[in-house]
Amino acid sequence: MTSVESMARDAGIAEPWILEGGVHWLNPGAMSVRDVASWMNENHARFVTITTYELPATEGFRLEYHWDIDGQLLGFSFRIPGNSVPSIFDLCEGADWIEREIHEEYAIDFTGRVCQPLLLREGNALGVNLREAGGAGQAEPQEAAR
Amino acid sequence: MSYKIPMGPYHPALEEPYKLDLICKGETVRDAQLHIGFNFRGIEHLAETRNYFQVIALMERVCGICSNIHTLTLCQAMEQLAGHTPPPRARYIRVIVAELERLHSHVLWAGIASKLMGFKTMFMTCFEVREKVMDILQAISGNRVNYAMNRIGGVNRDIEDPGSIQRMINALEIEMSRTIIPIFTTSVTARSRCAGIGILTHEKALSCSVVGPTARASGVPQDIRRVAPYAAYEELEFNSPVEQEGDVRARLLVRALEIMESCRILRQALEKLPPGEINTGEDVKFAFRTGTAVSRVEAPRGEVFYSVSWKENSRTPSRVHVRTPTYANMPAVPWMVRGARLADTPLIQASIDPCYSCTDR
Repeated sequence: MTSVESMARDAGIAEPWILEGGVHWLNPGAMSVRDVASWMNENHARFVTITTYELPATEGFRLEYHWDIDGQLLGFSFRIPGNSVPSIFDLCEGADWIEREIHEEYAIDFTGRVCQPLLLREGNALGVNLREAGGAGQAEPQEAAR
Repeated sequence: MSYKIPMGPYHPALEEPYKLDLICKGETVRDAQLHIGFNFRGIEHLAETRNYFQVIALMERVCGICSNIHTLTLCQAMEQLAGHTPPPRARYIRVIVAELERLHSHVLWAGIASKLMGFKTMFMTCFEVREKVMDILQAISGNRVNYAMNRIGGVNRDIEDPGSIQRMINALEIEMSRTIIPIFTTSVTARSRCAGIGILTHEKALSCSVVGPTARASGVPQDIRRVAPYAAYEELEFNSPVEQEGDVRARLLVRALEIMESCRILRQALEKLPPGEINTGEDVKFAFRTGTAVSRVEAPRGEVFYSVSWKENSRTPSRVHVRTPTYANMPAVPWMVRGARLADTPLIQASIDPCYSCTDR
């Protein structure tokens, strides 16, 4: 953990990394998804993926952003109260397809970019695959421990 | 004047549905747009409806080539949540099956690449060699494709006679080093069709976050087996071949050299195969803690990522997210084909060894 610990220290982040379920998690605190993406770019991290969870009731969604530094998998969890989150596509080209897929599967908007159809065809309805009918929180939520 | 040529979705080169719209000027490709999702199966959603036995069988069907890798990654994540550690023999068997799968995937790709080069004799040779790998996998698991080897806490089948597999590996290695690799590395036909085309620069490989042989052929020395070892890889010696050119030939060379490294890993794993149990023996009921576990494995095409969430006392996962290697590599194809000759595009897009089954999971 030396490199990621020093990385956080250099960025002035006091929060400790927590190793859980194979991921080094860091509470992003006041950092936005774009701040984290820029920070990861500065440290030459490789973007891995974004995992989406539908939260109970009207709480929205949780998005987990994963990055890799020298084989250490880093995780940053963000709660999205509504249906939109800033895109990191302009900062990280590798996030293109997963943002488009989440847009189609959960009907989440990634602001600052246009999401071309990926798995769906032009004109198909958004959010019918993984988002519960009637919007977030209408059925058993996918939220687990975090 | 520019014109658009649609390649796919039923393209004869790969027998899987996807579409590449090529914007051309004369014989030169200026841009390309990729379209996937023609066979999307909603497997992540289905996984939420399957219990902890059924979900393993389901995820084995994400891909027909690297089926074992998917169950290995899933089982490693579920083992974290269930608190099980596979016994040493199981960890070695996992390595053996994973490397055999890498061999048959790489040789299959070499055959398809040969066909796209117009080198059909080589296609037949590759598929003959691949059959021998399939025979070994069948001897171990009883199956040619979906091996059903992995379970929570170990593997389902033992390797009872490592010596016989060792002999088959030796014969395979001779054939590969005598026929396939020399032809791919020295043949004028292969060189003329592959060198200098479909270049993915080092910078673009990094910005697109490509993985596996596609990344290593562009000078990105990234291999999950080395940087984040799983199963028994930490106890084995091997190299991850890296090339700098980033063209189709570099991707071909990386895979050819990886075939030899896989044989090296297999020999070591068979020699070191420890005695003992092949699983924890708990096959009736597993208790999962509430939480999320992530596992990554180096598949033949690159890193596979599984994130599995579970709630205590539940028989089904609350979320399974899969990021397959082709999903990371495919978006780089438009960068590879820009400026290429139209006739080279089938080979260029095939050079990442795309798997649409994985992508349309």
